[in-house]
Amino acid sequence: MSKKINLIINKLKSEDEESISLALNETEQLTDITDDDKIALTSNLTQLFYQDHVGMSEMISLANRAEKQITRFGSVVIPFLIDELVNADAESCAHLGRVIAVNGANAIAPLLDTWNKKRSDQYALINLTQALAYFRTPEILQTLPEILVAADSSNYQLSSNVINATGKLVVRIDPNQFDEALRLQIFNISFSHLTDSHSLVRMQAARTLGKLMGKGLLTNTQKEDLRTAYSAILGKDDNHDWDDAYIVRREAKRYLPRLKTTPTSVTHYQQSFKIISKKELCPKTFHYVIEAPLIARKLQAGQFIMIRPHELSERIPLSICGWDSEKGHIEVVIMSAGKTSIQMNNLSVGDCFKDVVGPLGQRSHVRHYRGTCVVIGGGFGTGAIIPTARDLKALGSRVIGVVGARSKDLLILVDELKAVCDEVIVTTNDGSAGTQGFVTNALEQIIKDERRVSHVLAIGPVPMMQAVCELTRPIGIETMVSLNALMVDGTGMCGACRVSIDGETKFACFHGPDFDGHKVDFDQLTKRQKMFVAEEKQALETL
Amino acid sequence: MSDKSAKKRAGLSNKERMALSFQEMSLLAPEERIQNFEEVPVGYSLEEAIAEAKRCIQCKKPDCVDGCPVGIDIPAFIKLIENGDMADAAKKIREKNFLPAACGRVCPQDKQCQAVCVVGKKKEPVGIGSLERYAADYERQHGTLELPEIPAATGKRIAIVGAGPAGLTCAYELRIRGHEVVVFEAFHRAGGVLVYGIPRFRLPMDIIDEDIEFLEKIGVQFVYNMIIGKILSLDDLLEQEGFDAVFVASGAGLPKMLDVPGVNANGVYSANEYLTRVYLMQADKFPEYSTPLYQGKKVAVIGAGNTAMDVLRTAKRLGAETTCYYRRSREEAPARTEELEHAEQEFLNWHWLANPVEFIVDENNFVKQIKCEKMELSDPDTSGRRKPLPTGKYFTEDVDTVILSLGCDVNPMIPATDKGVKTNKWGIIIVDEETCQTTKRGVFAGGDAITGGATVILAMGQAKTAAKAIDQYVLG
Repeated sequence: MSKKINLIINKLKSEDEESISLALNETEQLTDITDDDKIALTSNLTQLFYQDHVGMSEMISLANRAEKQITRFGSVVIPFLIDELVNADAESCAHLGRVIAVNGANAIAPLLDTWNKKRSDQYALINLTQALAYFRTPEILQTLPEILVAADSSNYQLSSNVINATGKLVVRIDPNQFDEALRLQIFNISFSHLTDSHSLVRMQAARTLGKLMGKGLLTNTQKEDLRTAYSAILGKDDNHDWDDAYIVRREAKRYLPRLKTTPTSVTHYQQSFKIISKKELCPKTFHYVIEAPLIARKLQAGQFIMIRPHELSERIPLSICGWDSEKGHIEVVIMSAGKTSIQMNNLSVGDCFKDVVGPLGQRSHVRHYRGTCVVIGGGFGTGAIIPTARDLKALGSRVIGVVGARSKDLLILVDELKAVCDEVIVTTNDGSAGTQGFVTNALEQIIKDERRVSHVLAIGPVPMMQAVCELTRPIGIETMVSLNALMVDGTGMCGACRVSIDGETKFACFHGPDFDGHKVDFDQLTKRQKMFVAEEKQALETL
Repeated sequence: MSDKSAKKRAGLSNKERMALSFQEMSLLAPEERIQNFEEVPVGYSLEEAIAEAKRCIQCKKPDCVDGCPVGIDIPAFIKLIENGDMADAAKKIREKNFLPAACGRVCPQDKQCQAVCVVGKKKEPVGIGSLERYAADYERQHGTLELPEIPAATGKRIAIVGAGPAGLTCAYELRIRGHEVVVFEAFHRAGGVLVYGIPRFRLPMDIIDEDIEFLEKIGVQFVYNMIIGKILSLDDLLEQEGFDAVFVASGAGLPKMLDVPGVNANGVYSANEYLTRVYLMQADKFPEYSTPLYQGKKVAVIGAGNTAMDVLRTAKRLGAETTCYYRRSREEAPARTEELEHAEQEFLNWHWLANPVEFIVDENNFVKQIKCEKMELSDPDTSGRRKPLPTGKYFTEDVDTVILSLGCDVNPMIPATDKGVKTNKWGIIIVDEETCQTTKRGVFAGGDAITGGATVILAMGQAKTAAKAIDQYVLG
């Protein structure tokens, strides 16, 4: 060691500010320092970090100057600094952390190395995490998967430090550098600590999640979850049970409004109406699964949709036979009858419907019935009774399904109906499957066999619904029917779907589609359905 | 324009101006126009526009401005036309009205600005509507429309329910204040009643499309097939979707039907259904477009408002013999004068003082006859209005289509799905008159949803009021 260096070190060791300042000046002048000298100087310069700064504000600037000098020495002093860091006190930790982090990528390997060696020393880990927070180089993110594990430590200081440091990196480093797996890990770990038993950990978790959101690193679902969590922290949910720690609530309060006003891109509302699957149920009749996440989220049993398959098409109403709100799918059955339904059935998997509007109409009449409920599906109406049958069953009623078709090969969705009913009876006109006869025969039998039938729902061709109603009317069994009137807009603004219910005009699209079958003027409905027979024929010819 | 001629015009005295003759706008010949859906009034030429503009006496306290629901500086834009500054004239109008081409065509000027025009006291009032249309068309044809500068984003987001005149106006007013605006429309295209309710021979589709495109260019976002109330509730918009306010402009889309036998017969339409089939779904091009229209040979239209005129003239263009039935007399017809006159030129039949009491159907429920009671008018009552009184005398005529044009009630979707939005007994959404705020916090409403069925321009006026209040609400 040169005499010059020695002199500097002696001055640094003095308690006198002026000498220290002088020593720093001299250090600044040094050139061509050997590695050993660098380490010797560093070990003395770092001592400045330990000074008690209280009442000695000039010491702060000296410490900052020392930082600058250490920075000059480059990566050779990293091992020394890390050694120093693991035992450092809270004050000096920040200084050491900064001088380590300045080295960027070069410091990462030794840091991770020490981390692995010191696993059992939680104090060391806390200090190492401190340093982590100061990195600005994206490579530091490679260490996060390993380090984040420590967030689950039983030492709450370590846990909160890890989460805090992660939050700092979220702010410091380009969001594009966070890959999907890392985003998910940070989110999940932080989110799980929102309910930590220590308020400090909860606070850091709430804050880091807020930072993630602020940098656009959350998916819509994650944002949704976070919004719910913040609301709960603030006691804004149904439980009205807020987090008892002010520091946690403060974070939630800070970030919740930003979460609310995070611009949702308008594409969020654009549904593709893509055909996910298409299955032939029987000749000319297909079951479709369609991508329509917003509709799927709101559908209720008994509601319907309007579809316009392409630019030149009419809008036609369709019953829903199922949906999956998680996957964002809706299910319909389409039977080729007129031009538009044939055009729809010409579409294949991957094609998109031009427009789908919904959910429309009112929810089916469902409640818990003491007696048996009978749901009757005729022809392709079978699909439409499934959601309501499921609801009736879920409310604890006994549900018997009845499916009718002309013959065996026209029966559809029997298994699907079985899955939501206690029992399913199949009838065919020709006896090729189930019992021979009409759905009304089966209903008669059920009324005889069951202790009591409280509720009947019939969906299918008008004559079938009418026959069911005529059967139940004299014995006063509540009977609902779903009316497939002609429609244009389906929202109640044109009145094309007018039906007479107990002598009063109602709009099937808005007041229905389910009505009390004993009050429906079926004769009028049948005739109104034939309004465009000539035009439909003419349209078919253009195909 | 040379300085010299400008000076000369400036020197025109009021007396000279009053002496100038009214420039009648040319119309397509009735025989020709009933064969197609071309726009009927052909619009002023440059010379006609300037000549008409000279008739404005530039009142110091112009009543016409007060007579305009959106307060267009009418004398100022007319002066600009007189000076030949057509682009500036359009700009002047746009300060207050961003749908000038549509309003120039469909506004009831005879009940607004032109009704109070001072020139009109002695002669034909200044053709304000025609001049507005001229300036707007000039701007469209010459591409002089400049996109307004949008201030820095405020970070506030507003949802508009319905892309009709009120919704579009509110979207514009809020967008130019720097807010993010998303318009949710139930149909597959924007325009609302401008598209589904106003015939192409009164308002060509190009004009509507250009206005929508203009809004898109300034950053208004549109989402179609969205029925607010069903797919997303108002609470969803305010809480989950992060909107700071909602403007409900869902219109008056619930048609009033008659309570007479046969009203649900086949072939009996509401005006809404009939016009929607033709103009939104393009049933006039059936079967190329798949939406059918049962269009008979003898069409009866019930009512005599603007919509009834539209229906009558549409049915005529689709080749039917068409008759208007109205329970009062022509004097009481609510249609604006010009619409009524244009309709009268188109070989229609008129049954004034005829009140339909039954639609007689055949065995297949198709309407075959209309039965009416002859009415007479009472002496004016204390309100000065003459009431139609039954005479006990009836007449019956053969018809195969009936179209009820009796007005609409408010679209019930929003009030039915959000109990926080209160309505009066007619289903009209209750709002604070100053702010258009509904009974639900953060939710404002305008247009037919709060009037129960009025005009495009009135809806626009309310939308402007609401926009101002929404702006204050979200920034406050």
